[in-house]
Amino acid sequence: MLKVKNVTLRFGGLVANNDVSMEVRDGKITGLIGPNGAGKTTFFNCISGVYTPNEGKIIFEGKEIQGYRPYQINKAGISRTYQIINLFKKMKVYENVIVGMHSRLNSSVTDSLFKTKKEREEEKKAYEKALGLLDFVGLLELKDEPAGSLSYGKQRLLEICRALASDPKILLLDEPAAGMNATEKNELDLLCKKIVERGVSILIIEHDMKLMMGLADYMYVLNYGKLLAEGAPLEIQNNPAVIEAYLGGE
Amino acid sequence: MIIQILVSGLVLGCVYGLIALGYSLIYKASGMLNFTQGDILTLGAFLGYTFYGVFHIPFILTVIIVFIIMLGFGMVLEKGIISKLVAKGTLPIYTVLATIAVSYIIQNGSMLVWGTQSINFPRIFHVTNIKILGVNIQTEAFVCILVSMICMVSLHIFMKHTRFGTSMRAAAMDPLAARSLGINVSLATGLTWGISAAVAALAGMLIGPLYGVYTTLGATIGRKGFASAVMGGYGNMYGAMLGGAILGLVETFTSAYISSSYKDLVAYILLITFLFIKPTGIFNERAIQD
Amino acid sequence: MNLRLKNAISNRKKDLIILLVLLLMPVFLNVIHFEYAFTIVSFIFIYIIAVSGLDIVFGYSGQISLGHAAFFAIGAYGSAILHKYTHIPVILTMIIAAFLAAVIGAGLAYPASKLVFHFLSLATIAFGEIVYQLVAQSPYEITGNFTGFFTDSVSIFGYKLNTYSKFYYFGLFSVLVFLLMKNNLIKSKVGRAFIAIRENSHAADGMGINVRNYKILAFAISAFFTAFAGGMYAHCVKFISPDTFMYKQSVMFLTMLLFGGTASRFGPIFGAVSVLILNEALRATEKYQLLIYGVLLLIVIVVLPGGLYGAYQDVAVKFKKKGVNKC
Repeated sequence: MLKVKNVTLRFGGLVANNDVSMEVRDGKITGLIGPNGAGKTTFFNCISGVYTPNEGKIIFEGKEIQGYRPYQINKAGISRTYQIINLFKKMKVYENVIVGMHSRLNSSVTDSLFKTKKEREEEKKAYEKALGLLDFVGLLELKDEPAGSLSYGKQRLLEICRALASDPKILLLDEPAAGMNATEKNELDLLCKKIVERGVSILIIEHDMKLMMGLADYMYVLNYGKLLAEGAPLEIQNNPAVIEAYLGGE
Repeated sequence: MIIQILVSGLVLGCVYGLIALGYSLIYKASGMLNFTQGDILTLGAFLGYTFYGVFHIPFILTVIIVFIIMLGFGMVLEKGIISKLVAKGTLPIYTVLATIAVSYIIQNGSMLVWGTQSINFPRIFHVTNIKILGVNIQTEAFVCILVSMICMVSLHIFMKHTRFGTSMRAAAMDPLAARSLGINVSLATGLTWGISAAVAALAGMLIGPLYGVYTTLGATIGRKGFASAVMGGYGNMYGAMLGGAILGLVETFTSAYISSSYKDLVAYILLITFLFIKPTGIFNERAIQD
Repeated sequence: MNLRLKNAISNRKKDLIILLVLLLMPVFLNVIHFEYAFTIVSFIFIYIIAVSGLDIVFGYSGQISLGHAAFFAIGAYGSAILHKYTHIPVILTMIIAAFLAAVIGAGLAYPASKLVFHFLSLATIAFGEIVYQLVAQSPYEITGNFTGFFTDSVSIFGYKLNTYSKFYYFGLFSVLVFLLMKNNLIKSKVGRAFIAIRENSHAADGMGINVRNYKILAFAISAFFTAFAGGMYAHCVKFISPDTFMYKQSVMFLTMLLFGGTASRFGPIFGAVSVLILNEALRATEKYQLLIYGVLLLIVIVVLPGGLYGAYQDVAVKFKKKGVNKC
């Protein structure tokens, strides 16, 4: 589904991602781990179009998408959440979700200016869809609150909800459990599985190894910008190089 | 002929440069645009006129007095309004708009005090002209260029080789680190606004004898100063002077050889062209793009 | 849900009452022989549209413009000149000129959208000055330069709106149409994209919004509004001269917007009404005009960041809360 081939990204003399190759398989949860500063978020930024890799290819559904701008990546069917929460804080919760639908709404500027029938119908559908998604992640009751007023864990859920709004084929989750308590983490675990059932594949960065072991079908390990290991969670857990990298890092 | 145009272009350029210098200092120190500079120039010219032309205080003394007053004015402006807004977490846009508001107040205020008529600034020197390369040049024009040069060199020395200057530069580069080194960042930022205001007022006293003093004298110069600063590279002190000189020369040559009605047009076209094509200016100052 | 419906109905009622008052106002003004009020009201209408345009760019999409007087000028001169040479009905030339301004606005925003706001403000100042210079010293004196330019009034089916009182209903109608369009826009995909860009442009990009295109779109629509207001001005006053389109005018638009309240339905109305009435009240003290604007701006920025409308809302919320507590 998504194939990354030999991606290298340099900032001046610094190599942030070095010859990284990986694959996100259809209907699976793929995990990406690594010590702090291993280049995980940078790698996400490459896939989601924030950076253009210096070398290598990113192939999504048979099309090369490296060099696309973020909004084009979103439209193509890959959406993401952010490590540092990036919500539209003053907008209401449900409005955040509808913004997430942007690339799926077809009304033109003139439709908007004159509130044509087409536009009104589309807006109504969008609103209902937003409510459905909010219900799905369990935020329906908070739909009219300003996004900035939500608790940290709920803001993370809203980010996921907003990302789902564009009907992505792949969802990139950047440390979704950061700042969550144990209950919230359990809910997140369930939610991810439910998302996959909807036919969305997931690529997830997460530090919580326990969560990751239960979630991921396949894992990749980054260290110093390079791919260190890959395999099923159990293999990774027992891989001496991975243990070394984590222990050495601490 | 050419030399006279050159000289008047340089005079104008120096004034633009001095204003732009202030813009650059302030941008470096607090990342702000300051729309008051032009009207502070007007105020400086009026104060200079009052002390020198009305109270007959010797010119040198007048310059020193006005310089000190405006230094205080700039600092009060920063401490009284700007830093308060920044501390409140106001969007930078609003802080910039606040400086526009202050500029209106200064402009209208000086009109109420000194009237709407253009005032003749009395001559400073008994020798009206001096001869350079066989061409007669107005003494005041010569002094204007000379003082601007001195101003730039001494500012350079002040910033590079004094403790105060170093702490100001440090505060501008990384306020957090500077604070941890025991530098009084708040004082340093205030001082940059003070110095900028004082330099603008000085420019007003230099140009007053040549152009006459009137309430809107500085408003246009203030906007042209932005063009100079952008052309040189916003935030760069030498860029500011160079940009000013180029703009002054372009304007006077346009007036002389094409039409004086197009000189403003040319200046703003230069500004917008630089912003769109080379926003980092001649000195390639750090990117100012989004 | 029931409560919501009730609210909607009571809002409708309120709207109808306001509309009725506005429709009957001319009768009332004629009865009390206060014809001068028509002049002020006409200007209020014109400025509401112009300031609403600025609100789209500044209030909603978070980009600064200190050059909106230029769009006002393009609308005014564009329409007046077009009408003079082609004899197309004024109402059409106003719309054509507004479209022209929208295209120019987009052309300006295309490179300008890359600049951070500080330098965007400088670019818009430069743009405003360039347009002013071209208007004041036009090639072949096509704009009449400093002498000014006389033009026709709006005529609808041959009926000339050549006095301020005849202009009233046309002005009111235009305001309603433009406010409706603005409101529609804000409550749509486009408006949400504008706000998203203002709130967090990186996230907006990630959510599928082409940030640059939407910034350009905001400028174009904004220019259309302000230019149409310029056209109204030209054909309402029937005389235009460069003085009206100076940098000062751009700051005046901003002052009205900030004073009324940004990014709100009624902010531009509050702003235009209050500043223009203040202007009239202080006509005798024209000497202090700039001073007053300066102080107004400072007050808004320092004490009333939400403007008059924001303050009004705060008070309204407090009252409502008190009411609930009593129950």
